[in-house]
Amino acid sequence: MEMLQYSLRKLLAGIPLILGVTLVSFLLMVYFGPDQTYTLLGKNPTPEQIAEVRAQLGYDQPFVTRYAGYLRELATLDFGSSHSTGEPVSALLGRTAPVSLALVAPGFVLGNVLAILLALLAAHHRSRWPDKAIMGLAVVGMSISFLIVIVAFQIVFSSASGLNMFPVRGWGASSLREYLHFVTVPTLAIVFVSLGYNTRFYRSVIVEEMTRDHVRTARAFGTPPARLMLRNVLANCLIPIVTRIVFSIPLIAISGSLIVESYFGIPGIGKATYDAIMVGDQPVLKAVVGLTAVLFVLAQLFVDILYRAVDPRVSLQ
Amino acid sequence: MNAPAASAVDANGAPAASRRETLWHKALWKLRRDRAGMAGLAVVMLYFLAAIGVWLGWWATGWAEVAGGKWEAPSAAHWFGTNLIGQDIFARSVYSISTAFEVGLVVAVLATLLGGVLGALAGFFAGRFTDELVVWLMGVLDSIPFYLLVAAIAFAMAGNPYAMHVAMISTFWITTARLVRGEVIKLRQLEFVEAAHAIGVPEYTIVFRHILPNTLHILLVQSTITFVAAIKSEVILSFLGLGVKDGMSWGLMIAESTIEVLAGFFGNFLAASLLMFGLVMAFNFLSDALQDALDPRQVS
Amino acid sequence: MSAPLLSVRDLVIEFTTEQGVVRAVDGISFDVFPNETVGLVGESGCGKTVTGLSILGLVPRPPGRIAGGRIEFEGRDLVGLDESELRAIRGRDIAMIFQEPMTALNPVFTVGSQMTDVLRRYKGLSRRQARAAAIELLARVGIPAPDRRVDEYPHQLSGGMRQRVVIAMALSCDPKLIVADEPTTALDVTTQAQVLEQLVRLQEEFRMAMILVTHDLGVIAEACDRAMVMYCGRIVEQAPIEELFARPRHPYSAGLLASIPARVDDERRELPVIPGMVPDLLHLPPGCRFADRCGRRLARCDVEQPGLAPAGESRVACFNPVETPR
Repeated sequence: MEMLQYSLRKLLAGIPLILGVTLVSFLLMVYFGPDQTYTLLGKNPTPEQIAEVRAQLGYDQPFVTRYAGYLRELATLDFGSSHSTGEPVSALLGRTAPVSLALVAPGFVLGNVLAILLALLAAHHRSRWPDKAIMGLAVVGMSISFLIVIVAFQIVFSSASGLNMFPVRGWGASSLREYLHFVTVPTLAIVFVSLGYNTRFYRSVIVEEMTRDHVRTARAFGTPPARLMLRNVLANCLIPIVTRIVFSIPLIAISGSLIVESYFGIPGIGKATYDAIMVGDQPVLKAVVGLTAVLFVLAQLFVDILYRAVDPRVSLQ
Repeated sequence: MNAPAASAVDANGAPAASRRETLWHKALWKLRRDRAGMAGLAVVMLYFLAAIGVWLGWWATGWAEVAGGKWEAPSAAHWFGTNLIGQDIFARSVYSISTAFEVGLVVAVLATLLGGVLGALAGFFAGRFTDELVVWLMGVLDSIPFYLLVAAIAFAMAGNPYAMHVAMISTFWITTARLVRGEVIKLRQLEFVEAAHAIGVPEYTIVFRHILPNTLHILLVQSTITFVAAIKSEVILSFLGLGVKDGMSWGLMIAESTIEVLAGFFGNFLAASLLMFGLVMAFNFLSDALQDALDPRQVS
Repeated sequence: MSAPLLSVRDLVIEFTTEQGVVRAVDGISFDVFPNETVGLVGESGCGKTVTGLSILGLVPRPPGRIAGGRIEFEGRDLVGLDESELRAIRGRDIAMIFQEPMTALNPVFTVGSQMTDVLRRYKGLSRRQARAAAIELLARVGIPAPDRRVDEYPHQLSGGMRQRVVIAMALSCDPKLIVADEPTTALDVTTQAQVLEQLVRLQEEFRMAMILVTHDLGVIAEACDRAMVMYCGRIVEQAPIEELFARPRHPYSAGLLASIPARVDDERRELPVIPGMVPDLLHLPPGCRFADRCGRRLARCDVEQPGLAPAGESRVACFNPVETPR
């Protein structure tokens, strides 16, 4: 009950954010965005045809009405049909979202788990060579652009100049074998590019926690290192770790998948977004932007609830 | 009445100023001893010289000319060979340095300024309307996926070549503003600010004369971080076709290379990625060194 | 007296700072015998806390390191033991109580969970036995309703309560030696007295030796059999407690004693202050480190460092010690 009330209050508090995001995207993409009239018309349109299309697109309505219409679309999840393919947007999202999830999830999980392990190792050997080596490699990793990683991995894994073991482009997940065949190279790229940033972040959080008094107390009572790292350090770092992980989900879902999918030709939400950007397919873009904002608000709520699960000092007042 | 008031501010401002001076003095001393940081600085300076040379027309002037045959191997005339239509890859990659610096400098300077000003205002008026507005704006812009924002701004600016810069500035100021806001909330409680308040110095004067200068160390570090982010984003945006259109960029070269590498021609890819890696890495080292030198509280 | 439980010889602890290497502890030697309480007193920064930490091998490294000397516990040198050998001693043979009860406990586990962790590790108790033992220990350190408190988190307890929990943890494996670093400093005045009294009582009950590190001479007077006065990384005076208070021999000890307010008589008297400042550990004078602030300074004090030498029942490191008539 208390939880439900809290969640509702948090969702209400997220409304200004959703309004802001939708307003900004509406202003930029629709109101000041490109005029779609002529792309939908044939050659030599008559003034009547022009007026008809403009009415159909809602261009003759006042700003507030059009914005309210967008909000209504968002609330009902009915964004109409894609201008370029005619596919209903909800169907498009339903088709592409699972692909993106299946594509990004392994890299995301591995990238964070490996980073936490490396960070623990570095922090445990703080200022000695394992720490210096790991942190030096992290900076090198951070300095390599995602693009370079993708192209280089393609050369190594998918081209005749390298191992030539995996496909250059495409997607399929009808069997585990097929899934692994297509997901391996993108996953390796995602892990590689996120590892440096993640390891640095987690190390700084962990090192700071290691200077706390309770860690010294635990050492003074003979706590073995693995147990110390788990119960005293990691358990107390969960708030920043959880925050980072949850908040990077909406970002990686769109921005991360956009690069990977458009490069590997994978029919996920990122590719759909990229295509929509390229042709100015407004219904798709409106849907993606609006839903990302909602996803952010939900992430915030989720994080707040998780805080209480990981730290007994946090209460939902 | 004004004269004694002014001298009182000086008297109260002086300890703060000297505190600042010793901070910078110490930081410089620490920075000089940081070998990785100094190496980073030297490399960044080399790149910057290369960019200046391009701007002044000293070299890489022939980046758009057809200078040889298709996909020539590296030679004394063409260090990284030539591309599909016979243009010199090395000249193109050097020219791209100036593109990277153009984008990096414009975005880093403007985003840092914007972040500093909005962050300082929000922090100084914490809890009031100005603050809530800025915090709301930060949340809103943070929630819009970056590439979509770039696309949307490009739409709204009708293909203006600076749409990419505007999009980067409108997202990259946020981190700086958050940090400055936090610092200003702390500074606001210090004595010299309260004293200035008490003798009736106007609020905006306090913010810009007395508080913002005390956040300079944050602004400096953040501007290097923003510079790196801008270069990396520029390359990806150009690759995706959302960035540089009329000039040359490492992103465009990598886009060209995607088909070539599968056929075994690595000139474009190697030239663009090596030069970019060198610059970004040098900047990262410099940025880390600055942070170590300027942030005494940070645990390392 | 029997053989010493702990015997520290010529201990040197150095810290690497940005400005250079600093000797926080510079060649100190002392013994602790079974069942006695020894006070280690001095101003902050004099090296007393680091000395306490070094006994459990807890000097943070880097930047610190033990640069020389021996720390013999029951005849075994602890300096140079590796981490796993030290771990076997920590909490079981030698336990430590820290200054900051508010932050000394892990905030995300219950008091019981943290206590049973120690009990199960060293005594091989089952979960249920360990819990029962924890409740009993909490009761012995004077925590009311221990069966309820055992399931609470540290933030639900007051500072005094938390310090009692740490004391209970320290006692849980019947250690032979407890190092208590300013155990009462962070508590409020009324709680201070209670916790100190409890600690003294438990030290006798459990028949342990205790090193009490403090800046508070009142605490020393209350709890200790003997005391060592530290100044700038060196021990300047060692004496039985009555002797120290009645006849302080080092000018620094005398100064410290003079600066505590006397209990009843002449409250209004202005307290004497030791003039000058503690020298910077990076730029120590070649001679006696107290010389600059000393009223009894001789020419010799500026060139030669005094060592600890017997003086009556005490040992003092001074060329011109204070003489108090009997």
